[in-house]
Amino acid sequence: MANVNKAKAASPGTAASVRRWGSYATLEKWKDFLFALPALAFLGVFLYYPLVNTIYISFTDWNMVRPDKELVGFKNYNWLFTNEDFYQSLQVTFLYTIMDVVLTLGFGLLLALLFNVSSKVYAFMRGVIFMPYYISMVIASMVFLWIYNGSYGFLNAVVGYFGIAPHDWLINPATVLPALVGVSLWKGVGFAMILFISGIRSIPVEYYEAAAIDGASRFHSFRYITLPLLSPMTLFLLITTFIASMQVFQSIHVMTNGGPLGASNAIVYWIYNMAFEQFRIGRASALIMIFFVIILVLTLLQWIVSRKKVHYEG
Amino acid sequence: MKDNRMAGDANQRWISVLRIVLAVVVTLIIFFPVYWLLISAVKTQAETRLPIPTFWPQEFSWGNFGEAMRRVPFTRYFLNTFIMSVGLIILQLNVALLAAYAFAKGRFWGMNVMFFFVLAALMIPEQVIFVPVYVLMSDIGWLNTFWALIVPHGASAFGIFLLRQAFKSLNNDVLEAARIDGAGRFSILYKLLVPMAAPTVITLGVLIFISGWNSYFWPLIMTNVEHMRVLTTGIAMLRDSIRGDEHLNFHIIMAASVMAISPIVLIYSVMQKHIVSAMANSTFK
Repeated sequence: MANVNKAKAASPGTAASVRRWGSYATLEKWKDFLFALPALAFLGVFLYYPLVNTIYISFTDWNMVRPDKELVGFKNYNWLFTNEDFYQSLQVTFLYTIMDVVLTLGFGLLLALLFNVSSKVYAFMRGVIFMPYYISMVIASMVFLWIYNGSYGFLNAVVGYFGIAPHDWLINPATVLPALVGVSLWKGVGFAMILFISGIRSIPVEYYEAAAIDGASRFHSFRYITLPLLSPMTLFLLITTFIASMQVFQSIHVMTNGGPLGASNAIVYWIYNMAFEQFRIGRASALIMIFFVIILVLTLLQWIVSRKKVHYEG
Repeated sequence: MKDNRMAGDANQRWISVLRIVLAVVVTLIIFFPVYWLLISAVKTQAETRLPIPTFWPQEFSWGNFGEAMRRVPFTRYFLNTFIMSVGLIILQLNVALLAAYAFAKGRFWGMNVMFFFVLAALMIPEQVIFVPVYVLMSDIGWLNTFWALIVPHGASAFGIFLLRQAFKSLNNDVLEAARIDGAGRFSILYKLLVPMAAPTVITLGVLIFISGWNSYFWPLIMTNVEHMRVLTTGIAMLRDSIRGDEHLNFHIIMAASVMAISPIVLIYSVMQKHIVSAMANSTFK
């Protein structure tokens, strides 16, 4: 490619292109920059400036009921760190996230192995399985609210068939998180499956052929070829699913309102509740910053680990 | 030897039969909640309350849809959602096209640093920045308007990334030829690059539309009046109005939900191939 450019530059009649690509004029650079400017401006005004502003607000006692606010140092953070609800909220969020990530990736991989067949019937079934990913979380929550309903829900009819007494799945602290994970799993498993299949299909067939000649069993091929070569995709899914799960809000807002007794009071729901129900903007901002740092640290940590352990194809 | 191979073939056939049976069962299980949504939407109230639920309505109650539309200003919600989603397509797509062109084909100082800030935006969820944006919208009087629903989401880091990848893979020679012919940046972008990368551009447009249609957190915060509600917040409101007694009215909520998701299901069915391949290619490659 570089050679082609050189050849072009050397040939007569392309003086204009030499001038443009050889020593790109200042004016041209400014024009290029102007094209990037709208995006940068939007990100600056609606993302990076609010981010900095949230840090500032987290050190104030701002309450939306009063117009003025004062700097109070680490008071909001101290309030959080000495509050039992904070640790409960962290626990709830991580428990939910770990369940969601493990089940989504685990079932996603199993489905990928099952549905990785090139035929129209399988393509159609993959389409059906991926569809819930694009159904809004609010509607999905409504449907599961109905399925989980204690009096007339379908789930109780199913467990009743097996002789188990009906249950209020969303009102019991022991079942509320698995019930919420169920909605997320239903929506997300198809996405994981599609990405795993795309990962499996990018593995060269020769590897499997060579392994088969050496007498490797199907399981050995899976264990020593598919799994290691899938690790970049697994890591990508791990990070994106983890971050998305940590942000669980809509299903909680629609289905449980954080209850019962805070058993589903995940961090983002609590942030919303603090800011828009109790108008404690300062406290909510402190919680936002803690939440943001957690996401940032986890993302960086996963990347560092991945650089050492993940097998990238050379 | 021959017998062995035939036995192997028979085994293979059994395995593929077993496989498709298992695949169909799994597909049916995952499809079930959608089926239950559809079937509950046309049941009568009495039928939704049977101790043993029916898998096919004994009697179709088409009136549920009209009832849902009478209880809340459903047409208004629908229109609001549509305006917001189309507005998001127009703004996000154009902002992303311009930026993707600059980052893929342009050259300017600090380009890599700026692109890093675009990518880093993927790590900042909207729940982290909504407080100051809410205050800003309130200060300039944009709360309860479409501006507050659309403008803060003007730049989509995902969209810029996706389009930049698509533009990067396009050959520079054609652009160079157009440039020598005196074409400006806008015509190169919109008349040359966009048609060449049409599948990606269209898919991105569809994805923006779907995510706008499904959004909940942002409309919930930026609007609090009836005539500005979108479908997601409106249906949550419909349910809130009967909270505690929902089990009496799930057939109505389901009817409203069916109407709310039908455009998305329709678009998904038509665009499925493109959406799936865009998703599979949008990772780290």
